[in-house]
Amino acid sequence: MKKKNLLLAMILVIAMVFVSACGNDDAKKDSKDNKDSEGKTEQTTIEFWTMQLKPTFTEYIEGVIADFEKENPDIKIDWLDVPAADLDKKILTAVSSNTAPDVVNLNPTFASKLAELDALVNMEEAVSDEDKKKYVKGAWEANRLKDVTFAIPWYLSTEVTLNNTKIYEEAGLDPEKPAKTYEEAKEYSKVIKEKTGKYGYFPSLDLSLVLQHMVVMGAELTNEDGTKAAFNTPEGLKAFEYFTELYQEDLIPKEALSGDQRNTIDMYQAGQVAFFAGSHFISQIKENAPEIYENTKPSEAITGDTGKKTMSVQNIVVPKQTENEEAAVKFALFLTNAENQLAFTKLTPILPSAVEALEDPYFTEAGEDAEPTDLVRITAAGQLDEAELLVPPMENYDELKEAMFDAISEAMLGEATPQEALDKAEKAWNDILAK
Amino acid sequence: MRTNKLTPYLFLLPGCVILGAFIFYPMLQAIWLSFTNYNMVSEPDFIKFDNYENLFQDELFWKTLKNTFIYLIGVVPALVIVPIFLAVLVNQKLKGIGFFRSAYYIPVVTSLVVAGIAWDWVYKENGLLNYVLDLLGIIAEPIPWLTSTDTAIFAVMVVTVWKGLGYYMIIYLAGLQSIPTSLYEAAQIDGANWWQQHTRITIPMLMPFVLIVTIMSSIAAMKVFEEIYIMTGGGPLHSSETLVFYIYKEAFDRLNMGYASAAGVVLFILTLIFSLINLKVMGKDKTA
Repeated sequence: MKKKNLLLAMILVIAMVFVSACGNDDAKKDSKDNKDSEGKTEQTTIEFWTMQLKPTFTEYIEGVIADFEKENPDIKIDWLDVPAADLDKKILTAVSSNTAPDVVNLNPTFASKLAELDALVNMEEAVSDEDKKKYVKGAWEANRLKDVTFAIPWYLSTEVTLNNTKIYEEAGLDPEKPAKTYEEAKEYSKVIKEKTGKYGYFPSLDLSLVLQHMVVMGAELTNEDGTKAAFNTPEGLKAFEYFTELYQEDLIPKEALSGDQRNTIDMYQAGQVAFFAGSHFISQIKENAPEIYENTKPSEAITGDTGKKTMSVQNIVVPKQTENEEAAVKFALFLTNAENQLAFTKLTPILPSAVEALEDPYFTEAGEDAEPTDLVRITAAGQLDEAELLVPPMENYDELKEAMFDAISEAMLGEATPQEALDKAEKAWNDILAK
Repeated sequence: MRTNKLTPYLFLLPGCVILGAFIFYPMLQAIWLSFTNYNMVSEPDFIKFDNYENLFQDELFWKTLKNTFIYLIGVVPALVIVPIFLAVLVNQKLKGIGFFRSAYYIPVVTSLVVAGIAWDWVYKENGLLNYVLDLLGIIAEPIPWLTSTDTAIFAVMVVTVWKGLGYYMIIYLAGLQSIPTSLYEAAQIDGANWWQQHTRITIPMLMPFVLIVTIMSSIAAMKVFEEIYIMTGGGPLHSSETLVFYIYKEAFDRLNMGYASAAGVVLFILTLIFSLINLKVMGKDKTA
């Protein structure tokens, strides 16, 4: 008897495993069916994913959602916050298993990867011309890949140099005249190294930054139609030579080659580096190194002969798999309207992509008791007109980026001359672009 | 009564179902994907052996394979030999030996991310290691441990060894404690010294454990990923990039799932071959 019972129990357990394994699909279908039938008559549920905004901005996002739901009682927003490091994988898995959310916050690099796969709604068609005009032009255009605009811009930032005035003074330099060009950055680094033994400039070569530096120095990355590399020019060579010289003359930390921004911020906070492009980190510096923060003076981004300045964009995308495109786009527009963006930018040093929000005095006037954080914001907003997305979304971007980083590393490590490295990068790019 | 024969299989079934669903099914799927062009969004597209052909023509693949072998050769002997000494050390009946045992074991339970970042600081140009070496007058210029093509992979190996020592020590410790003390007593009566006792009793009796540790540490070395991801990102110039890191980059940065699966299959075959060689060589030693 006992054995029979046991057997029955076993069968039950196994049956449960199978049922629950297969059951998932059914459950999902059910909920989707519900969504459909409810969507027409009653309520639509929009799944909304953000990138690492909890817990700092929980209140803000929940407020925006509550306002939206009040205005649109037939739409319910389901908010999920995902850690930045997991978002890429999570969205990919969701798209591949046909369970993509309706509205997602992504950066342009990753969004363009999804756009390459034709997985995102084309905002050129989904958004009215009138609404399009409400966004900063450069920011709207930053999300174009071929003829598709794959995202709505949310918040922006421009690069602001942070200067440690104390090191400037120790080296006998005038903190009122921070380095504005690459050439000045190099000269200052020499003086600082000589007088204090510390590093002056710490250029980050992380992410797309090598490409950015090259564009600022006047190199074109590709030809017009993006089929061939176009950077093997005197300007491109200048960029390679510049960083090679800095590295080999020990004017920048060896960690520059690690391509990891963590090193940059660590050294600045430790007071071992005089200046770097680090406006995103200002809150972190305030928290971790209050003394350094006190001595921090923001200045406009370091630039080259072109005078170009970079802008980065955070996006809102709507995956094509959504069954509620209209409601999803509606929410995306609501989230990024001037009023909501202004409220958001007051919480953290970012810039709004809505033209109207940018006109607020918050971005134009520094008060008497302005802190470095306020100055960063005003400096950043002040150069927004001249700033643009320097490295446009490109197909196989990751490979292109790595090929360039490898080449410049080779030059910096002295394993190739800058010209040889540049030739190598050109060949690699041509191969990748021909794919 | 006939049901009795079925019962053991029913007990095995849940395990098989779970293993099948989460290990074997994905494995087979990966083998299938290695013959396709798959980017996770559109349907996989069957391309026969193209992935493998491209793989074998990719210089970077060979470089990462070479790095994996360097890793294997560097890490495995250290992880097989050093823990024996540690185990002998902590196998003494001393007051507070429990403390030392846990001290050696702490790296094992430390999060690899935390350890990686801490070691990163140790290795920095202005980090602890350079500071100490400078203080002792060993070096004149700081050595860029993690950003030089000569040292990066070795610097990361040290972390893998540091992290693994305690784990294998515990395996050996279990082995040591299973050796009957009467053997040592008999040897002492025969006049064997400390060294003879260990080479004639401890090591031979530990052979089965050495085999396990060799296989486990080889597999671990071939699959090394986190240390590299955190400390060097495979750089500089791919000098510390191992096969698993390469697979990760192809799969998740570039979405070449089919291609990455092909590299994964190669890694699987290599690991299998290594384990078989280990079993053959070491297994023989034991019976000899």
